[in-house]
This record gives sequence, C-alpha cells and structure tokens, in this order.
Amino acid sequence: MSEIRKENIRNFCIIAHIDHGKSTLADRLIEMTGQVAERDMEQQLLDSMDLERERGITIKLTPVRMLYKAKNGEEYIFNLIDTPGHVDFTYEVSRSLKACEGAILIVDASQGIQAQTLANVYLALDSNLEIMPVINKIDLPSADPDSVGKEIEDVIGLDGANAPRISAKTGINIEEVLERIVTDIPAPKCNDGAPLKALIFDSYYDNFKGVILFVRVVDGEVKPGTKIKTFMSDKTFDVVEVGTFNPDLRPKNTLSSGEVGYIAASIKSISDIEVGDTVYDVENPTSEPLPGYKKAQPVVFSGIYPLDGSKFNDLKEALLKLKLNDASLTFEPDHSTALGFGFRCGFLGLLHMEIIQERLEREFGLDIITTAPSVSYIVHKTDGEVLTVENPTKLPPVVEIEYNEEPIISASIYTPPDYVGAIMELCQEKRGVMKDMSYIDDKRVKLNYELPLNEIVFDFFDGLKSRTRGYASFDYEVSGYKRSDLVKLDMLLNGEICDALSIIVHKDKAYARGRAIAEKLKEAIPRQMFEIPVQAAVGGKVIARETVKALRKDVLAKCYGGDITRKKKLLEKQKEGKKKMRKLGSVEIPSEAFMSILKIDSSDK
Amino acid sequence: MAGIYIHVPFCKQKCSYCDFASFPKEIGKAEAYFACLYKELKARGLQLKDKKFNTVYFGGGTPSFVEPKYIYGALKQVLTCFNVDKNAEITLEVNPSTIDEQKLKVYKNAGINRFSVGLQTANDNTLYSINRIHTVEDFKKAIELLKDYNVSVDVMIGLPNETVSDVQNTLDLATSYPQVKHVSVYALKAEEGTPMFTRYLNGELLSDDEVADIYDFVVKYLYGKGYERYEVSNFAKSGYESKHNKNYWARGEYIGVGVGASSFINDRRFTNTESIDEYVHAVLNGKVAEVFSEEVTGDDAKAEYAMLNLRTSKGISFSEYRSIFGTEFIVDFSKAIKGNSNYLDKTADGLKIKDEYLYVQNSILVDFISEKQ
Repeated sequence: MSEIRKENIRNFCIIAHIDHGKSTLADRLIEMTGQVAERDMEQQLLDSMDLERERGITIKLTPVRMLYKAKNGEEYIFNLIDTPGHVDFTYEVSRSLKACEGAILIVDASQGIQAQTLANVYLALDSNLEIMPVINKIDLPSADPDSVGKEIEDVIGLDGANAPRISAKTGINIEEVLERIVTDIPAPKCNDGAPLKALIFDSYYDNFKGVILFVRVVDGEVKPGTKIKTFMSDKTFDVVEVGTFNPDLRPKNTLSSGEVGYIAASIKSISDIEVGDTVYDVENPTSEPLPGYKKAQPVVFSGIYPLDGSKFNDLKEALLKLKLNDASLTFEPDHSTALGFGFRCGFLGLLHMEIIQERLEREFGLDIITTAPSVSYIVHKTDGEVLTVENPTKLPPVVEIEYNEEPIISASIYTPPDYVGAIMELCQEKRGVMKDMSYIDDKRVKLNYELPLNEIVFDFFDGLKSRTRGYASFDYEVSGYKRSDLVKLDMLLNGEICDALSIIVHKDKAYARGRAIAEKLKEAIPRQMFEIPVQAAVGGKVIARETVKALRKDVLAKCYGGDITRKKKLLEKQKEGKKKMRKLGSVEIPSEAFMSILKIDSSDK
Repeated sequence: MAGIYIHVPFCKQKCSYCDFASFPKEIGKAEAYFACLYKELKARGLQLKDKKFNTVYFGGGTPSFVEPKYIYGALKQVLTCFNVDKNAEITLEVNPSTIDEQKLKVYKNAGINRFSVGLQTANDNTLYSINRIHTVEDFKKAIELLKDYNVSVDVMIGLPNETVSDVQNTLDLATSYPQVKHVSVYALKAEEGTPMFTRYLNGELLSDDEVADIYDFVVKYLYGKGYERYEVSNFAKSGYESKHNKNYWARGEYIGVGVGASSFINDRRFTNTESIDEYVHAVLNGKVAEVFSEEVTGDDAKAEYAMLNLRTSKGISFSEYRSIFGTEFIVDFSKAIKGNSNYLDKTADGLKIKDEYLYVQNSILVDFISEKQ
C-alpha cells in the first residue's frame, strides 16, 4: 500500500442534496473497491447516528480510504471525505472541501439541481475543486437524465452530457464513476520537504486515544514523536499515532503531504483544537497557517433545561460529551425562575439545534424542556453602551434602550412558479423584503429575500413547507444587522412573569403573537385549584388575556369492594404527572406548555 | 373491628359502564362458585380467628340475582367461621328488579339487616340506555318491600344527557321513603373496554364542569333533606353511615372473598383473581386465589392513612394517627399541609379538606402521598 505513489492519490468529497443518494453512492464505492466486507459495511452504516439515518440526512460520515485497481492497471488510493449536507453546516462543508482536490456532484435524475446543492457547488468552486457531475437514480421511472444533464450545463456550466448516469441503489455504472475519479480528479500537489502544514477538517473524541484529529497534510510530514502545535492554541502535543481510515483507524508510520488521515496526540479536550486550524511541527515551524480559518459562530440560541430539575448535572455531562465532537455547540449555565437551572445554548442554525435536542433525548435518555429559539440582538443603550443580547430575559428595560438591531439573512428560495404567490405572502408576513426574482427555467423560480432571522426561527420552515407542499427549498446566510423596532413580549401566569416564555418580537407582531401564545397556554396548562389568568404583556402593559378556569372535579370515584390499591395506582399516576410540572409561584406548568409556544403558526391568529 | 366483603360475580346483564368482575353468561357456574366461596370463607376464618368483625357486605355483580340460598349459605358460613359481632351491619346489594317477597324472607332469615339498592337514576330512558335491567317502577316496588329495613340507595351522576333536574327527580324519589337512610352518589366514570367508553369517545358524556354542577346540587339537596356528607360520595342520616364503607376510609382491616375481592389484613393488601375458573381451580386445590399482594408498612402506610381519611368529611384525627404510628401527623406531612393550607380546615383534633374542595381532592391527596414516598 505504501508503495502507491502520491500521484495515485485522489482526495474527493461528494456533494448532494438531501436524499439524492450521497450515502448510497458512498456505500457503493466502498463496496466496489472491496475495502470493506459487506458485513462490516452494514456496521459502518449503523455506526452513524440514528438520527441521521431516520431523517435521511447525513451530517457527517467518517472519511474512508479505498484502494482501487483502475483499468490502466495501476492502483489508486481514494480518500472520500464526506461533507455535511445542510446549510447550517456550511462552514464544516468548506473545511472538508479544503481537504480535497475534487468533488463528485450527485444530481437526482428526476429532481434536478436543488438550492442547497448549488450553494455547496459554489463553495467547492471557490475552493478550486474539480467538480465531477454524476446523474443518479436513472432507474426511476420519472428520471430525465437528458434534461438534468442540460440543466447541469445551464446552471453550473459543467459538462452534463458526459456525466456518468448511474443508479447508486441498483449499482448501475458505478464502475464508470470509479474510473472517472481516476481521470477527472487531480492528484494532490505534494511538498514533502516543506515544514508541516496539516488542515484539521474534523475531529472526534475517543475515550482511549483522546481527541482524534482528521487532517489533510498539505505540506511536509507528521509521524509519532512529532511535537505539534496549532495556531489557535498555545499547547504543544506529542504525536502518539498517525494513520488512515479503512474505515476504522489504521496506524501508519507517517502521514505526508497529499495524504488524508488522522493524528492522535493525547489531546485531552476538544477545546484545545479547532476545526479549520492548521497543525505545524514545533521543531520545524511554518509561519503561515492555511487560509480560510473561521471561528464557528452560533446564530440561533435557546435555553435547554432538564425536565426533572435534579438532572442538571446529567444534562451538563451530556452537553460536554456532545461538545467533544461538535465544537460549534456553545453553552453556558443559565437560570430561569420557572425552569430552574439549565443552559443557554448556541447553535449554527435550526437544524443543528434540533439535532442537539434530539441527541440529548435519544442518546442520553434525557427529558428536556427547550425555550423558544432566539437570535442575537444588538442593543444600543441610551448611555451609549452596546450589548449583545441572546436571551430575551437579558433585554434591558425599554427606557434604557436607544434602539435595537436584529440579524438579517439573505435568503434564496427556489420554487416551482405555482407557489411564488404563496411564498411572497409568507415572506411578507415575516417582514421580508424581496430583493430579486429570476426564472431559472420554466419550472423553477429563484426568489431572493432579505428577512429578519428572528422570523425564520419561529415557524418559517413549516409555513414554507405547507404553503408549497414541500416543493420549495430554502437557503440562507446571515448578511448583517439592521435597526428594528423590537419589544420584549412577556407572558404572565397568575400575575407573575414566566421568564422562560419571554420572547423578543417586532413591535407590529407583538399583539398577534401574544394572543396566540396566551391561547396556546390556556390549552396547555391544566386546570388547577384556582383560576389562572394568562396574560401577554409588553413593557408592563397587558395586551392579551385568557383564563384557565379553576378545577371543579378531580376525585376518584367509587372504591369498589375496597380496592384501595387501584385507587392508589391512579393517584400514583397523577403524582408522576405532577412531578413533571414546573412551578411558577403556585401555578403548575407542564413541559408541553413551554413547547407549545414553539409551534405558534402565524396563521393561528 | 374489621369487615368482610363477599363478591357475587353474577348478573343478568352488564350495565354499559360496568368493568367489575361480573359475568352474565356464567350463572351456570354459581353452584361451583359458591361451593368454593364457602371453602374460602372457612380457610380465611381459620387464619383470622383472632380478629373481630362488625360488618359483612355482599357486593357484585348482582347478589340479589342469584338464588337466595347461596346468600343464605354464604352468610351462615361467615357466621360460623368468623367472630362476627352480634350487632354487625350486614348489607346486601340489590337490583330493584331482582327482589321479591320470597327472596327477602330468606335474606331476613340469614341475617341481612341492610340493603343497598341500585337506582342510579329515576329516568327510565336513561336506565334503558345504560343497560340497567330495572325500571323506576321496579325501584318503587322494591323499596316498598324493604320498608322495615335500613336502606341505602345508589345514585349515579353524569349519565348521558343528564341535567340537574333529572338528578333532582332521582333524589326526590329516593328520599321520599323514610327507610332510605343513606344515599351514595357516584359520578359515572367511562372505563376503557366498556360500551360507555365508546359513548365517552363520541362526546356523549357530560363535561367535568357539568358533573361538578350536579354534584354541588346533590350536596346541597341532600343536606336539606337531612343527609350529611360523611365521605365524598356518601351521604347519610345521622347514625346511619355505612360502617362497612367507613372502615375502608379509616384504613381498617377487611377480608374479601370471591373473585376480584380485595383484602387488607395484617398490613397486607391482596386481591383475588377476577376469573371464576381460575378462582374455582385455585380453591379446589386448596390454594389461595390471590393475584396481587403487597405489604404496606412504614411511610406507605402513613401515606395511605392520609389519602383515605382525607376523603371523609371528618378528615384526619391527630390523636388516632399518633396512636397508630407513634409520630405526629403535622410533622410527617408538614410540606403537604403548608402547600395546601388554603384548602384545609383545622378540626378539634386534626384537619380536613374544606367542604368546597372535597370534590377536587386528588391534587391535594397527591401532595400528601408524595411527601411520604
């Protein structure tokens, strides 16, 4: 294996829209190169997160090294580096791309190019990658590879006519893909003699080896014993092991320029390294890091609290563990009068947030309560101070605020023309400003909108999905901040502000949203021994009110034949329910109440 | 003092809300069943020969549906095998359409001195719709027949389409007979698996608020007629409270025999199988027919004591609690007492749930239970 020359290495990734067959093609390539036995392959599939499999999305696959004997008789090393397929992970995508020379672009033969794919294609082009289009799912009855081929030419300007037409599912033409990787994707440029420069494109925490760095060696070489450092950290680490992904970790004597592999250096904490950073040799240092490093910035925030207050430490442990493999997750301890102790967490986007929440529940068996997602506001105070506020409860009183700014996104929405009206209506409701509209072809329209991120984190996706019957796709990036008339909307239960329910909204939206939330809360809060007023208030002024009536019947009927046990069990059940309630003053609030406000549809009003 | 409960699992037809152990199609097994019941009584009597009993209660099913000789036989067996006080309260549940002079004579000879008559409602259409086998007329006849006895009437509230005036009619009828010294008022509960549950799912039943309105009316009405509420569902003229029922709420001991019967003896709660075949099989083989058993001691016992006694109008007696558990109620339940102070009243020797909160007692009870677990 080690005799294979550097020019026979191919480092590439796969770009595909969700559900267009990325994992399937990856599996097929692995299978065809015979690197992994079929049984192990199953294993490899199962090893990826349940969540990804269920949602049909792949957030991250471990890199795989394959050996391929090409028709020209030579052996090649293929390093497949996977990229996350979602807009939330754009930065991660860009890092992975930097580790490659080429990218396979999978386009669905019946659906054509999708918005997200396009965004990643542009990222790949920016990184000077050679892009090799592949038309997948040609076995589907609705497949139209010719027009998809043409679309590839029209939209991206790549040669679509010669793109391999395959079915990753049934295995048609996979051989051609393998050959084209050899011919179309360039070999890495190598510079073994230069000082070590290795790009960290991913990492994970291993209980035995510590943090495992996934690297692309750009210059020089690294081997056990090398003393390494990164630009973002002061710490020096001794390399213990280097190797490749087969797909399990396989140690090797050295990793040198052009190669993709891993470094284990007894790194205790993932916070000691940052993805996108450059590894160098302390004894033969390079002065310049590789370009493109960016610190991942959370844009969506939400409070996460344990349902059972006593599980705070479990939640903390779980977040720390998730953080080991996900440097972009941020969290800090927070306290709410209604929810007790928990964490204010920052996420790359809404999907990232949902994934973290689901992983906490599934992988760690935690019952959690999450508060409404919020974004990061800039508050200009009358005294000249400028604050960043991510938590509605931290918004200063109105009188101290000169003005506020909210994050604005630049959104691209791709849709069949039929839904343009519905989308415009939705964006209008969401305070959007249309910037551009263009017909890509007679079947697709691209709408460019400027929208406040604050409106997106609520129910924008659901609204878009339902109004376009799932046909529209949506991409965004935060484009900046804009001055905005924002207010804090508080919810009062029995006269007391429930901090966990406070949100920051645009002034014009406060009334409608306040009323909708009050109505939802009225449904979600069970009747109690006394009447509970549910009020929405802005700056101390009540703008909506509902009432949870007092309980009138809550008693166990006949104790038949002295069956006390049955009665006890019923009370026991009620007790369990009551235990799960949060208490605000004397009001008991079920966790669903906190969740229900996440599901306020603007059409509810 | 302890109670004896005897279950008669036969009836003519199932009421549409009934999920008790009662089997209309298995009346053919009555002979075998009672043979086993006598056997079980004998075995239990031997185990409990040191205990004194002051109540016997025949429940069902419809105890008055089976041939009266079985009731006679069972009661004779009870009196033979157990140490029963000579002034014991001995109750038989009766369906108005299944009692006649002859049966009554047998019951009297056996020693029954109290009858619990299931009226449920004085609306014939409703009676028919919930699959009761009797009419209002049947009730009138039965109650006349029982004029020399101590009678209790069962009334149900929250029946389909019921209004306050329906309930008023029912209570007017029930309380028009001087022999009716006791009224039990139970709210209909749609149990899963019963035809009533389907009606509940169809939205035919009353809302909790409507039932609460009716209940409030009932309490007021019966009070006006001289029936005091001594437990959330039970009302009686002074001195006519059901000793058997009160024993349950006092956390007193009782032995239940027959299918599905529950017992609480020597700190242990246990329940017999609900299947007649299983019951017969077990008893014939000299075994107990228990399918459930738990020891209730320590804090669990305290929690039970609180939960049961708080159902009653009298509430908790601190001195009784002290004499049973050797600790102070207000110390053991300080948190629950504090948290529910708005809903509790002090009494001379303890505390009780305020009258107006008796019908929303569950969340209060839950706090008391939680404190001891």
